[in-house]
Amino acid sequence: MPSLSTLLSQGFNGLILGALLALVSSGLTIILGTLGVLNFAHGALFMLGAYTAYVVLGHTGSYVLAVLAGCAFLAVVGLVLERGLIQYYYDRNEEDQILVTYGLGIMIVEAVRFFFGGNSQQVSVPGWGEGIVSIGSLIYPLYRVQAVVIIAVTLLALYLLLYRTRIGLVVRAGIEDTVMVSMLGINARRTFLLVFALGAAAAGFAGVVYAPIISVNPDMGGSFLVDSFVVIVIGGLGSFPGAVVGGLAAGEIISLTSAFNAAYSDVMLFVVMAAVLVLRPQGLFGVEGRQ
Amino acid sequence: MSSRFNGRATIRWLPELVLLILLLVLPWIAPYLGGTLDLLTRILIWGLMGLGFDLLFGYTGLLSFGQSAFYGTGGFVTAYLLTGHVLGSVWLALLIGTVFAALVGMLVGYLALRRVGIYFAMITLAFGQMAYFLENSPLAHWTGGENGLPGIPSPSLTLGGLHVTLSSGLSMYALIGVLFFLGFLFARRVVASPVGAVMLAIRDNTKRAAALGHAVSRYKLAVFVLASLYAGLAGGLLGIFQSYMPPDSFSLGTSGQLVVQSVMGGVGTLIGPTVGATVWLYLRNAFQALPVVGDLWKFLLGLVFVVLVTAFRLGIAGTVRQYLGGRARRGEAAAKPAEGGEHITGDAAAVELVMTAPPPLKPEAVALEAHELSRRFGGLLAVDQVSLQVATGSLHAVIGPNGAGKSTLFKMLAGEEVPTGGEFYMHGQRLTGLGVERICQLGLSKSYQINQLFPRLTVRQNLRIAALARRRGPFRLDMLRRADSLDEVEEQIERIMQKASLRARADAPVGVLAYGEKRRLEIGLALTSGPNVLLLDEPLAGMSPAERSETKDWIRELREGRTLLIVEHDMDAIFELADRITVLSNGAKLAEGTPEEIQRHEEVQNSYLGGLHANEPA
Amino acid sequence: MTEFDSDEGQGVTRRDFLKIGAGAAAGIMLPSLWAPAALAAEKHQALGTYPAGVGRHSVFVGITVPLTGSYSASGKDLRRGYELAIEQINAGHDIARRWGMHGKGVLGKQIEYDVADSQTKPNPAVQAQTKFINQKKALMITGSVSSATAIALEKLAQREHVLNMVGASGSNDTTGKDCQRYGFRSQPPAYMVAQGLAPVLAKEMGKQVKAAYLVPDYTYGHSVFDSVSKATEALGWKTVSKQLVPLGTTDFSSALINIANSGADVFVNVAFGNDAVASSKQAQQFGILKKMKLVVPNISPFQYKEAGSDIMEGAYGTMDFWWGLEDRYPLAKDFVQAFEAKHNYKPRWTANIGYMQTYIWALAVQRAGTFYPVSVIKELESGHKVDSTLGEVWYSDYDHQLVRPVPVVRGKSSAQMKGKEDYYEVVGVVSGEKAMVPKGTFGCELGPYT
Repeated sequence: MPSLSTLLSQGFNGLILGALLALVSSGLTIILGTLGVLNFAHGALFMLGAYTAYVVLGHTGSYVLAVLAGCAFLAVVGLVLERGLIQYYYDRNEEDQILVTYGLGIMIVEAVRFFFGGNSQQVSVPGWGEGIVSIGSLIYPLYRVQAVVIIAVTLLALYLLLYRTRIGLVVRAGIEDTVMVSMLGINARRTFLLVFALGAAAAGFAGVVYAPIISVNPDMGGSFLVDSFVVIVIGGLGSFPGAVVGGLAAGEIISLTSAFNAAYSDVMLFVVMAAVLVLRPQGLFGVEGRQ
Repeated sequence: MSSRFNGRATIRWLPELVLLILLLVLPWIAPYLGGTLDLLTRILIWGLMGLGFDLLFGYTGLLSFGQSAFYGTGGFVTAYLLTGHVLGSVWLALLIGTVFAALVGMLVGYLALRRVGIYFAMITLAFGQMAYFLENSPLAHWTGGENGLPGIPSPSLTLGGLHVTLSSGLSMYALIGVLFFLGFLFARRVVASPVGAVMLAIRDNTKRAAALGHAVSRYKLAVFVLASLYAGLAGGLLGIFQSYMPPDSFSLGTSGQLVVQSVMGGVGTLIGPTVGATVWLYLRNAFQALPVVGDLWKFLLGLVFVVLVTAFRLGIAGTVRQYLGGRARRGEAAAKPAEGGEHITGDAAAVELVMTAPPPLKPEAVALEAHELSRRFGGLLAVDQVSLQVATGSLHAVIGPNGAGKSTLFKMLAGEEVPTGGEFYMHGQRLTGLGVERICQLGLSKSYQINQLFPRLTVRQNLRIAALARRRGPFRLDMLRRADSLDEVEEQIERIMQKASLRARADAPVGVLAYGEKRRLEIGLALTSGPNVLLLDEPLAGMSPAERSETKDWIRELREGRTLLIVEHDMDAIFELADRITVLSNGAKLAEGTPEEIQRHEEVQNSYLGGLHANEPA
Repeated sequence: MTEFDSDEGQGVTRRDFLKIGAGAAAGIMLPSLWAPAALAAEKHQALGTYPAGVGRHSVFVGITVPLTGSYSASGKDLRRGYELAIEQINAGHDIARRWGMHGKGVLGKQIEYDVADSQTKPNPAVQAQTKFINQKKALMITGSVSSATAIALEKLAQREHVLNMVGASGSNDTTGKDCQRYGFRSQPPAYMVAQGLAPVLAKEMGKQVKAAYLVPDYTYGHSVFDSVSKATEALGWKTVSKQLVPLGTTDFSSALINIANSGADVFVNVAFGNDAVASSKQAQQFGILKKMKLVVPNISPFQYKEAGSDIMEGAYGTMDFWWGLEDRYPLAKDFVQAFEAKHNYKPRWTANIGYMQTYIWALAVQRAGTFYPVSVIKELESGHKVDSTLGEVWYSDYDHQLVRPVPVVRGKSSAQMKGKEDYYEVVGVVSGEKAMVPKGTFGCELGPYT
C-alpha cells in the first residue's frame, strides 16, 4: 500500500495530466459535436504544437511568442485542412471522415519525422518556470504547477467563449442540431471552419504548454489521441463539461493507479471506459439517446 | 463479383474459381513480378483477417479500429500453448487460439456495440490499445512482453503413411492458401445468406432494419464475433508461419494497416483487403527502394490512402466491380424509362398475401389502444396524455396542425420513442417500451413519411429484408443457406410487388426509382412484415394528384384483413377514407369522431381547417 | 550454365525454379547439381544460403535498422557504421588492410547489401531479413537496435542457417537463454555493463550508497536492473527503490515522484533512447538531480546531445564505444577519422557495432577460406583474437558473446569540453576477461551447427 504522501503526490500529478487531457479532449469534442468529424489527426496536431514551441523557443526564447505562434499556426493548419479536405466530407458518412483524418494524421507525423528527425528534441522550461515547489513532503516542478494554472485559465476562457458569447451559442446549437442552425440562416459553413480551427488551436496550445514537460518527438501524439477518445466516451459526445470532467478523471485514474502498479495505469483507464459503456453508455454528461 | 442477384446463376461461382486459379498459379508467376512466396503468404494472412474485417465494415458498416486485439490474441494464445509446451499439436493450439480470440471478440463486441458509428470506432480502438498494453506488461510472463514469442514449431500432417512437416516455403503457402480459400468460401456463403442480407440492411439503414423486425444488435454481435474469428485464425497462422509471434501484432498500427489496406483494395468486395494488402506491401517495398523517397515511404502511402478515400472511395476491387456490373446494368436500365413508372392496376386487390400476420391474440374489437400517452422532451411536452382506440378493421386517421404531436405519437406507437407517460396496447397486449423490433414481430408496422429504404439494394432485396424478418423471426444464424432460398419469402415478395405494382422494377436499385415508386416501396416494406396494424405516416406526401388518387385506392384495398392508422394532411383524402378521425393540437387531443362530426366541429375548424374566423394562425 | 548473381531485380534462375517446384525454400537442403564452375572450390554441403549466395563477384549481406520509430537516430548511425566498413573492405582500403583484410572484398567477392527499415519493431525486421535470405540469398544478416528484434532475428538465423552478427542489443538473454549457434553479439550485455560499472561507482561514490532505479518494464530493463543492482549490492550498495515504467510512457512523473521521496543518493536510469532523455529531463525538473547523482548504465548513442550538459554533467555510465578511446586503439582512430570525414560528426557506439561486426565477420570468413556457415562459426568460436576498435577482442565459444573491454565514462561539464562532441571522460576501461559473463550464468545452450 503506497504511503499517503505518495498518493497525494500522484493525485496532484493527476491534475496536470488531467488538465492536459481535458484541453486536448475539449478540442476534439467540439469538433466532433459540431462537425460530426472524429478527428483522428488530433494527436498529430497536438504534436505540431509541441514542435512549434520547439522551433520558436529555440529561435526566440520567448514563451509567450511560442504560445501565440502555436495557436496561430495550428489555427491556420486547421483552416487549411478544413477548407482543403474536411469540408468535402460533411456529406459523406462518418466512417469516411475517420478514414481521411487517419490518413492525414499519418502524413503529418511522417512529414515532421522527415523534417526534424525521429529522435526527441528538448524544449527547455521557461526561466520563470524553473525550480520546484515544496508543499510539506510534496515536491513538484514549478512549471507543472504553472501549466495546470495556464490550462485551467484556458479552459475557463473556452467555457466563456462557448457559454457566454453569441458565437459560442451558435457552436453549441450546432452541436445540438446542425441542420436547424443552418436553417435559421446562420452561416453553418463558416461556423464549421471556426470550430475546426478552434479545436486545432486548442490541441496546439496544449502541445506548446506540454512541450517543456515531456520530450518532443513525432510519435508523441499517439497516446494522447487514444486517451482523448476514452475521455470523450466517459464524458459524453460533444460535451464540453464532459471533456473537462472526463479529462480530469482520466488523469487521476492513470496517476493513482500507477501509485499501486505502474503497469496497469493505462489499462485501468480502459477498464473504467468499459464500465461506463455498460452502466451509462451515453457518458457522464451525454444526452440520452444521442448516438 | 457477380452474384445471384444479377440473376445469372452460372456466374455465381466465378469468383471462387478465379481465386482458386490465382492461388494455384501465383507461386510460379510471382518471382517474375518481383514477388516471393514469403510475400504471397503474408498477403494471404492479411487477406484472411481482411475477410472478417470486410464482413464487419464493408457489409455491415461497422468500422473497427481494434481488430489487432483479436489478431494478437489468437496469435499469442496459439504461440503460448506451443512454446510453453502446454500442447503438442499445432492444429489444436491453432483451434484453441482462434476460439479464444472469438470469445474475446464476444466480450469486446458486447461492450463496443452499445454505441454506433464514430463512438464504436473509438471504442474498438481503445480496446485494441488495452490489449496492447496488457500484452506488454501485465501479461508479459505469458506473452514474452516486447520480445514476443519465438520458437513456434511447424505443424505436421500425417496422411496415410506419409508424414509431412509444413515448413516455410511452398508447403506453408499451401496451408495458408487452403485456409484462406476456405475462409473466402465461407464468407461468400455468409454474404449470400439471409444473415448477409440483414448485414447489408444494417449497413444501409440500421433503424429501418430494426423497425422491420430484425434484432439488429444480435446480428451486429454475430458479425463482430465472426470478424474476430477470422482475425484470431490469421494471427495464429502468422506465428506458425514465421515461427515467431511479434508483439506489434497488437498495435494500433496493425489495426490501422488493416483498415487502410481494406479501403484501398475496396471494402464490400471480400477480396478487397487482399488486393489492398498486395498494393500496400508492394508499394512499401517499392517506395523504400526509391532513393528519392526512402524514409518518406509511409508519408507517401498515407497520401495515396487519402487520395483514394477522397476520390476513389470504392477502392480498387470495388471500382472494378462497379465497372463490370455497370456495363451489365446499363442495358437493363435503358429499357425502362423512369418516369412515373407503372400504375396500380385493379388486379392487385385480389392478390392475397402469403404470409399473414400472427393471428390476433383475442379477436378484440379494439386493435390498438393508447391510454394517456405522453412524451416530454425536456421542457417541451410534445404529446400530452393522448388516448385513442382504433377499432379492428377500421381506418383511423390522426390529423392536426404542424407541431401537434402526430409524428411523435406515431413514433411512440411504433416503438421508436419510449413514452414518458401512459401505455398502449395491441389486441390487449402491452406494447409500451418493447422496442421497434419486438413490436414489428408482434404485428405492428409503420411506413415512414420520409422514405426509409435501403438505398444500395434493389426493390426485391429491400422487400426481402422485411420478409425475412417475418419468416425467420428476429434473429437466426442461418449463414449457409442462400437468402433467396426460402420459397415462402420469395412468394411473399412477388405478391407484394404485385400489390405495389413494382414487379417490373424488381431488380432495379432504389436509386433509379421514381418518387411515386419509392413511396410504394416504402409502404410495401411495411406491408411485407405482414402487420395486423399498419401505421402510415403521411403516405400521400409529395405526390401528384394522379398518384394521390391511385394511392388512395390502394390504401382502401390495404384495409382488407388489417387495421390502418394514418397521419395525413390531405383533408379530402382523409374525409374520404377514414372511418374515424382523431384531431391533435399542441400535443393534446382536441376532438375525435367520424369525418362528418369532425368537419362540423367548431374548434377543429378554427384551429386547423381554417374556419370562419380565418385570422387565426394556421 | 546459369549463375546466381545477387543483383537487384533478378528474375528466376533455373535453380530457383526447381527449388520452388520441389517445395523447398531456404530451409530445405538440396544438392546443388548445377554448381557454377567458379564455385568448384566450394567443397562443402549446401546449407542455408550456401553456396547459392556465393556469387561470381559478390555476396549479399542483409541489414535491417530502424529508420522510423523511436530508435531511428541510433538506426541511422548503425547503418553508417555498416556502410563504412563495407566500403573500406570492398575497396581494399588501407584501413581494411590494417584490420587484416587481404585484397578487395571478402575472399575476392564484393559485399553487396540492402538496408530495410525495421521501424523499431521486431516483425518488420524479421520480414525483411526473411526476404533477404529467400530472395537475395544473404550469407550474413545483421542489424537491430533492440533486444527484442535481435532475439527474433537470431531465431530466424538459426532456423535458416544463416549467420547473424547481432546489431545493438544489451539484454543478457541475447547470449543467455535465447542464444543461438548462428548468432554472435558484440555489445556488452547488462552483466558486463554491471561488472564494469560497479567497481568504478564504488570507487567514485563510496560503498554505503542508496540507489533508486527507474526501470522500463521489458526484458532489457529487467536485465539491466538485475545485473546492476546485484553487482552494486555485492559492493555494499543498497537498492531503496525500483520504479517500473510501462513501455510507451512519456510522462515519468509518477515514477519520479516515488524516486524523489526514496531518500536515495544515486538515481540509476535504465531507460534507453528517447525515454532516457525524457526521464532524465523530468528527473531534473523534479529536483532529483540536485539531490542525487545520475547513473545511466547503458548510455544511448545521442544522449548527451539530446539531454544537454545540465543533466549529463557528472553522470556515470558505460557505452559500447566512445570516440574518446581513439588514442588507446589505433583502429579506433582510423574509424573515427574516416567516419567524421564522411558524415561530419563523430561516430556513436551504434556505428561502431556495425563497423566492428562487419570486419570481424569478414576476417572470420577470410580465415576460414569459405563462406560455409559452419566453418565461419567455428572460426569465430576459435578464440582467435582480432585487433579492433576496442583492442583485442574474441568471441567466447560457450555463448557467442564478444569478450571485449567495457568503457566506463563520466559526462563532462560544458567548461571541460575541449571540442564540440567532447561529451565524456573515460574514467575506466574494464578488461573483457574481467567483465565477461561466466559460462552458464544465463542458461545459454547453443543450438546445433546444422
